[in-house]
Amino acid sequence: MATANKQISRWIGWVFFADIFKGLSLTLSYMFSKTITEHYPDKEKWIPYERYRGHHFLNTDENGEVKCVGCELCAKICPCNCMEVVPYEDENGYRRPLVFNIDMARCLYCGLCEDACPADAIKLGQHYEFSAENSSTLVVGRDALIAAPRKAEHGGKVVKARLNRSGSVPISEETDGEDRDWWRNIRRS
Amino acid sequence: MDELIVVLVMFLKLAVVVAVLLLLPLPLTWLERKIAAHIQQRPGPMRVGWHGLLQPFADGIKLLSKEDHIPDDADRFLFTLAPMITLVATFAVFVAIPFGEPITIYGTEITLYLTDMNVALMYVLAIAGLDVFGVIIGGWASNSKYAVLGALRTCAQLISYEIPMGFAVVGVVMLAQSMSLVAIVEAQSGLWNIVYQPIGFVVFFIAGLAEAQRIPFDLPEAEGDLGAGYHTEYSGMRFSFFMISEYLVVVLLAALNVVLFFGGWNPLFLPLPPLLWFVLKVSFFVWLFMWFRFTFPRYRYDQLMSIGWKVLLPLSLANILITGMILA
Repeated sequence: MATANKQISRWIGWVFFADIFKGLSLTLSYMFSKTITEHYPDKEKWIPYERYRGHHFLNTDENGEVKCVGCELCAKICPCNCMEVVPYEDENGYRRPLVFNIDMARCLYCGLCEDACPADAIKLGQHYEFSAENSSTLVVGRDALIAAPRKAEHGGKVVKARLNRSGSVPISEETDGEDRDWWRNIRRS
Repeated sequence: MDELIVVLVMFLKLAVVVAVLLLLPLPLTWLERKIAAHIQQRPGPMRVGWHGLLQPFADGIKLLSKEDHIPDDADRFLFTLAPMITLVATFAVFVAIPFGEPITIYGTEITLYLTDMNVALMYVLAIAGLDVFGVIIGGWASNSKYAVLGALRTCAQLISYEIPMGFAVVGVVMLAQSMSLVAIVEAQSGLWNIVYQPIGFVVFFIAGLAEAQRIPFDLPEAEGDLGAGYHTEYSGMRFSFFMISEYLVVVLLAALNVVLFFGGWNPLFLPLPPLLWFVLKVSFFVWLFMWFRFTFPRYRYDQLMSIGWKVLLPLSLANILITGMILA
């Protein structure tokens, strides 16, 4: 009897398109729910995790002195030969880099230079918006590397941002460090 | 003088209808992309204009500037003819569609339809069937396997949905005792036909989805298995002719659903102008079509045939019988 009732209710469901209305109501509820898209360059921006390998930077010690000892190990291990290091002896008798060029267009962001460095000097940081209009501007020198952004301390979050078109290429700037729950509109059932 | 005004009004109405129909696909493509996006929890086009409102214009400019490519092995004459047949047939159907009650401007009564034929429904079904010829010829002339397969599917689909579609409207004609669309709308000034003809509406709606070649019955252009179906080889303006006619068929089917089953411009509760009521109802149906598209998967080829022949045809015949018995 129970199975017969089930059969009858299934037939009634077929006749009145129960499954079709179920599907339609599901998509309707999605149609009027909030979107989960991250409005990347205009309103929001992703701050990558600490492990992220982005634009390189050169570490400095507490006196602001660059930590690099110009051993050229990074240039040796680099699989795509994109680094050029020329050492010199500074006034204190330390070996320091005179030239430290990285060709960002050739770099494959493997992080081997970071592993090879004995002085903890070269690192791959959080910066990822460095598109350029020609490849020669992608060769980054020593001073620019020292000034480049460090690794993200509290990475892995979405912050508010705005699009800055004043430069030669538009970039997305963080406006305030306010965090935003990027799971907020994602359904987890 | 009076004859001149009549001719002038006629030409004016013609110009307005053609202009509206040519411009209508622009907002519809935007709407379709937005609805698709929101069902999938995306914002859709956002960057060109406010919330991507100018995106259709950008797309139009892109299509205009595309290379007009005709494949080497294609039948050049038929290849160029096919999009025109589709577009002309779709435009010609709208001649018979009434949009609202007559309005009076400066003492001149203007009827909101181009012609009130006494066989309007017949004409609509016949000419709407014509635009399939463009699809078939286009697929054949492309000389490409995907296009031919798409065209073949169109043929098979045409036979299985046109017959139930024709039978489904017979009930409406029996109720209104006329094939004129204006008379059909006027006959619904009390209760709408959806109350008397629920089966007819369901059959007509499903057959209409197949006529418009939309998901779940978009077999002729099934992207997954046929590239792009019959318009695989088309590019630029010729492609956009097919797209325009596709969107216009959606509007046409929505308008037919409204005129035949949802009381045309008869108001429901609010005493809004008849033309506005008509536009509101048609936009609801257009939205419904798009909602369907992004809810359901595509039916398999043989499933469409079995729906058409084993379900829709008996249902529409039973609908005629029941209507006849109740009327008699």
